[in-house]
Amino acid sequence: MEQCFTFEKEQFPLFFEAMSEHGTVLAPVRVSEQSFAFRPVSSAGEIAFEALRTILPPKKLFYPQRETILGYEGRTIEERKPDVKPQVLFGVHPCDLAGLGVLDAIFSSDPADSHYLARRKATIVVGLSCMPDRYCFCNSVGTDSPEKGYDVFLTDIGGSYFARVNSPAGLQLLQSRPGLMQPASGDARQQYKDFWVNRDRAFQIGFKSGNLPAIVDMEWDNPIWEELGQRCLSCGNCTPVCPTCYCFDILDVASLTGDSGERVREWDSCQFSGFAQVAGGFNFRPGPVDRLRFWYRHKLHGFEDAYGFPTCVGCGRCTVSCPAGIDDIVGVVLRLQGGQDGQGGEER
Amino acid sequence: MNALKTPFFPVHGVIRSIIELAADNRLFEIQLQEPNGLPRCRPGQFVQLWIPGVGEAPISVCSGKVGASMELCVRRAGRVTSALFQMQEGDWLGLRGPYGNGFPVELFEGKDLVLIAGGLGVAPIRSLWQYLLDYRQKFGRLILVYGMRHSIDLLFRAEFQVLLRRRDLDVYIAAEDVVGPQLPTVSFQLGRVTDMIKLAQITPGFQAAVCGPPVMYKYVVQELRAKGMPDSNIWLSLERHMKCGIGKCGHCYVGGQFTCRAGPVFRLNDLQFLPEAIECA
Ligand SMILES: Cc1cc2nc3c(=O)[nH]c(=O)nc-3n(C[C@H](O)[C@H](O)[C@H](O)COP(=O)(O)OP(=O)(O)OC[C@H]3O[C@@H](n4cnc5c(N)ncnc54)[C@H](O)[C@@H]3O)c2cc1C
Ligand code: SF4
Ligand code: SF4
Ligand code: FES
Repeated sequence: MEQCFTFEKEQFPLFFEAMSEHGTVLAPVRVSEQSFAFRPVSSAGEIAFEALRTILPPKKLFYPQRETILGYEGRTIEERKPDVKPQVLFGVHPCDLAGLGVLDAIFSSDPADSHYLARRKATIVVGLSCMPDRYCFCNSVGTDSPEKGYDVFLTDIGGSYFARVNSPAGLQLLQSRPGLMQPASGDARQQYKDFWVNRDRAFQIGFKSGNLPAIVDMEWDNPIWEELGQRCLSCGNCTPVCPTCYCFDILDVASLTGDSGERVREWDSCQFSGFAQVAGGFNFRPGPVDRLRFWYRHKLHGFEDAYGFPTCVGCGRCTVSCPAGIDDIVGVVLRLQGGQDGQGGEER
Repeated sequence: MNALKTPFFPVHGVIRSIIELAADNRLFEIQLQEPNGLPRCRPGQFVQLWIPGVGEAPISVCSGKVGASMELCVRRAGRVTSALFQMQEGDWLGLRGPYGNGFPVELFEGKDLVLIAGGLGVAPIRSLWQYLLDYRQKFGRLILVYGMRHSIDLLFRAEFQVLLRRRDLDVYIAAEDVVGPQLPTVSFQLGRVTDMIKLAQITPGFQAAVCGPPVMYKYVVQELRAKGMPDSNIWLSLERHMKCGIGKCGHCYVGGQFTCRAGPVFRLNDLQFLPEAIECA
């Protein structure tokens, strides 16, 4: 059974101490007036508790933009193991937890990705509650209540945090400062439930997702793809910012003499023109219209066939990052559901 | 945890022989350095061929049997394949695999089969016919159709001379035009793959295994349907851009499937609802 505790916000520095004792603490910090990023922090004061969406989701901490997989020298090939140290990832919101869950499923499915898993397993994840802004729609895609992927989840219930524990490592973290944690009282439990009810009411946008896979397939020829795709710059902004995008390329980097080198993995984007090109000049998705439609289908219909889950977790990052303003997932879904007259579908 | 090994680790192979099949097309025999380095290789599967310092490319297993060595038929198309063409007998390279599902040879048992290859699609189809001929008595009638643009592109001439003489296999070869100073030493007809399918004695109970350039599938499928074959008897090996071969890099994703895992061989009726599967620009 899950265990629940509370601790006063004033005591947060103690909790921070406990986290630092385990390893490097990574938390959202403010990097410009409007933006936040997960960075190593050395004191509670550096943490931006108000951060909603960081520029990049926490995937970058387990799956860096560029990493060496193998090295070779002459005929000798060796795996370059990632340099893994214990760390605590603090302040992950429900959408990003769900995003990590998607990457966990992909990278741990056979054959498992040793590089991703080594970093993932060395990390304690502390989730943090949030209140949606006008771009959040996790409640439409069912990722709004944190279920897995964390060791501890903190809900802000006013003067205190309500801590749910989900792993032995999480329990150990909470118990490492004697007296810090109080078993959650009846009042605290009620405040916790109130928080989530109020949060649910605070969403400003959304849709009903039940018929999404069917609708996306049905609307494959909807003129909306042409209309939006024409405006796409193929800049590929939408994919690195997405917590569930993980496509990559693997390339060789040879030394100058050529007898040694490395195999390096780098993030790639399905929005780049060569992504689906094969020899002979055939391209399965030659234009931005093809690629944008592919991306939408993948996000909304997702891995239902290959893995059995959809892949948009409702964080709103693509919407705020697209320079062309065409990654309006909620708007597009409402239009698809409402048919071709441009009228919205059923808003939640 | 640290015992987990990266799936990107290759095995060593050494080039044992190189045979020029046609301009820019060579057959490489690769000797595997680690015993059982590529276990349980099936016809229609592929390997990731690695040229150190250059990169990897997916290449079909071209020989029916894979033991201590395997054959790969490669066309010079870009970076990796050009680097391979610079290599010599005795040089080493890396291999990962085998990947993909391959052709359903167990399901094919006891059935009449038509194998259809267009251009370089003959590479995986060759692994299939070699396998089928090794276990000839397990299968019904065998028809092999092979088409190409120009007559000089004909691959495996010597092997076809032998195949054309077999009585337990009907071979139809077609080229769209005759190019070059002399005709290939193999009898062929002018026309397309689809013309050969029309000629061949294919009945609705046949199973078809098809591999060729992306544009070919639509026309071949039309022709097979015209013969009365149900979609469930048609198996297509699809080519996609592939970087990993293990369902991770995302490049080969089509509809809802990774071509490298769920394919490259797909049953046509499973592709029906996959957008982008067999149409292409
Ligand atoms: C399952 C499978 C089996 C295969 N089996 C075989 C086989 O048996 N034999 C064989 O020869 N081939 C086979 N192929 C095809 C082979 O993998 C490709 O031709 C591969 O691209 C060759 O790699 P390369 O590095 O030599 O070419 P690349 O450098 O990748 O270039 C290939 C082509 O793509 C174009 N291209 C590449 N990148 C770009 C870009 N960024 N922008 C524009 N154009 C670009 C190039 O113009 C070139 O024509 C197979 C492919 C698959 C998926
Ligand atoms: S959809 Fe937007 S972010 Fe994505 S490639 Fe197109 S313009 Fe860039
Ligand atoms: S598709 Fe957009 S809203 Fe959905 S998870 Fe990805 S970045 Fe977030
Ligand atoms: S080749 Fe990488 S997912 Fe299929």
